[in-house]
Amino acid sequence: MLVEIRLYATLRRHAPTAALGVLSIEVQEGSTVADVLGIMNIELAEVHIIMINGVSSSLDIVVHNGDRLGFFPAVGGG
Amino acid sequence: MVGESSLELLANGQTPERYLRNIGTIGLAGQERLLKSRVAVVGAGGLGGLVVELLARMGVGYLKVIDGDVFALHNLNRQVLSTEQNMERNKAQIAAQRVKSINSDVQVEPVAEMLDESNGERLLKGMDVVVDALDTFSSRMLLGRVTAELKIPLVHAAIAGFAGQVMTVMPGDKSFDNLFRSKPPANRGIETTLGNPAGTPALAASLEVQEVVKILTGTGEPIRNKLLYFDTQYNLFEFVKLE
Repeated sequence: MLVEIRLYATLRRHAPTAALGVLSIEVQEGSTVADVLGIMNIELAEVHIIMINGVSSSLDIVVHNGDRLGFFPAVGGG
Repeated sequence: MVGESSLELLANGQTPERYLRNIGTIGLAGQERLLKSRVAVVGAGGLGGLVVELLARMGVGYLKVIDGDVFALHNLNRQVLSTEQNMERNKAQIAAQRVKSINSDVQVEPVAEMLDESNGERLLKGMDVVVDALDTFSSRMLLGRVTAELKIPLVHAAIAGFAGQVMTVMPGDKSFDNLFRSKPPANRGIETTLGNPAGTPALAASLEVQEVVKILTGTGEPIRNKLLYFDTQYNLFEFVKLE
């Protein structure tokens, strides 16, 4: 099945050819968010906010065909 | 009394000239509300410096500025209160001087201390809104705990590079806890790599000020139970629901 990935800020370097950091990837049924990050070789520690279809989510959530996943790194400056 | 002359004019249905350009947006009642409000700005660097400046110009009657740090050369690229003349000076004290030079309606109290476990409740008690202008995750989590305990609205922002985030947390909301449900592994974020260019804190601080004004005057809709994450390198503005 296909899920859409949106990478923000520094995470875009993991998909340098993807316009605006947006790409679709094939994942197996039953895959979790952590599995998706593993496929993309993104370390879990690099991701602070996980969004699925506009809503905050977490690493252990199972993704579904057509889901829109957003990954945001931690920003902390002030 | 703070802002007495402006408040007297407003009580008589007159518009103090200095707020003429506010009234069309927030009305006379909104201006009166701001003049009678108490806001604490925690941090007086890139975010906090501009938040203080703009809230003083809006006419928030009491501002408490909390920052134990001093200005350094690497602040000059973005921190509007830093100048070549005030290096090594305390940021809260400089902020207070700036406020006094802008608006004599505003009572400003500088606190040359860092917020910590021992002073948080004492410093923030009695505020109508608290603004997060801090720069570490641990200090933000402390601020979130203290404002939740005191049941004070918190306006959060953080920045890095071209990116930043803004959110209002009202008493009882779970959004702040949800945001930091997974604590970042380090105490700072990607700003350690990207730095903070001039426009990013100005953008986030302006959004924080809009949130404060909306909360205090009851107009519009705060960014509540969702986080605005902006990434202006590619003009991306996303809302992440955090209910």
